[in-house]
Amino acid sequence: MTKKGKISLTEEELVFSLRNREKIAIEALYDMYSSSLYGVISRIIIDTAAAEDVLQETFVKIWHSFSSYSTEKGRLFTWMVNIARNLAIDKLRSKDFKNQNKNQELENNVTFIDEQRNTVYNPELLGVKDLVQTLKPEQKSILELVYFKGYTHVEAADELGIPLGTIKTRLRMAILELRKHFN
Amino acid sequence: MEDIKAYIESGILELYVLGDVTQEEKNQVEAMISEYPAVKAELDEIERSMEAYALENAIEPSEELRGKILNSLLTNFGDDDTFPTKKEPVKKDNLIAFTASKPNSFYKYAFAACLALLILSVAALVDMYDQLKEANTQLVALSSSNQHFTNTVKFMDHQLNIYRDPTFKVIKLQGTAKHTSASMLVAFSPIKKQVMIDMADLQLPQNDSAHQYQLWALVGGKPVSLGVFDKTSDSVDMKQMQSIAVAQAFAVTLEPKGGSVNPTMDQMMVMGAVL
Repeated sequence: MTKKGKISLTEEELVFSLRNREKIAIEALYDMYSSSLYGVISRIIIDTAAAEDVLQETFVKIWHSFSSYSTEKGRLFTWMVNIARNLAIDKLRSKDFKNQNKNQELENNVTFIDEQRNTVYNPELLGVKDLVQTLKPEQKSILELVYFKGYTHVEAADELGIPLGTIKTRLRMAILELRKHFN
Repeated sequence: MEDIKAYIESGILELYVLGDVTQEEKNQVEAMISEYPAVKAELDEIERSMEAYALENAIEPSEELRGKILNSLLTNFGDDDTFPTKKEPVKKDNLIAFTASKPNSFYKYAFAACLALLILSVAALVDMYDQLKEANTQLVALSSSNQHFTNTVKFMDHQLNIYRDPTFKVIKLQGTAKHTSASMLVAFSPIKKQVMIDMADLQLPQNDSAHQYQLWALVGGKPVSLGVFDKTSDSVDMKQMQSIAVAQAFAVTLEPKGGSVNPTMDQMMVMGAVL
């Protein structure tokens, strides 16, 4: 994903320079992770302006609460993507954002709902769709809900009408499929 | 190892990576990964695959957003206390020294001018005070001389009135045989019963402290005392004597101080008859 002119460091270097509050760390952080984080955020929040706001809030929060990150507890991206997902869900549930969505024109609602339910193909997600093809439909739907919709596994169990244990197993299987695919 | 395998297969690590765990579960997972390398390795695998999955699903945000976000972070960066460059001391060459302290010299000169003005004012005030004192002294002298002049004028007026008064007769008393050079003027008004002697025109020798001159009126051949007087060098006024309505002549004798009941005839100085 590294383009020309973008800064890329190893995760260890990045964590080190972020800890030392180095200016270059901010740029490296953005260049290395903005698209991955924005991918997650923009699937939870369809509205581009709102999604961009959340991306900004995410980076501000990462920068300010970086002291609470510990390499012992996991990888940097895991910590960051959880911040991004939580901010995106907070935004989605915020009063302002709900009111804004109520003002949607009626004719726009069909596409809006389709977008929300992910029934339309986002051209940018074509490659992903290929990948997700390798997953079984039930694995795919659980991963979509939890990873891209910000559902908890309890909410996903309710939504899909299946027991919690099954949800957890399917989630694990889905991720094992991904591990096979990426390795 | 069975427990660890079961723990891994429970799917809790996946939920941990997805941030879908309670605080209690989170603490438990963190305890497990720090204790069992196998759990840590499994977690790492899950994280890497999810990270790769996210990278596959990555969406490039707009180019403008990069600048906007980096600027907002750098703005915060400047406010951040832990930002190391914040602690750098201010470069000396950034400080601009005030040259020749121009604004200060104005006040210095102004102060000097004020001080000079104050000294001049005090000197002028002292001078004015002296002049005022002198003027006051002059004024007192003038007013006293004016008073004196007024008194003199009043006295002269009075004197003049006596001479003008038609009821007054001016009688010239001539020196006796012993005192030929002696003479004096007596003004007598029978109507007003007043007798005045002109001290300014008194041509008598000065009396000593033991003696006084006594004025007598001859009424029906008998001498009547009209009072005593002294001859002094500075007596200038008209001296009023005791009153009498009728007199044929006036005479003056030198008597012991305080006067005598009867005149000492051999000490008669001057005499004049009323015409």
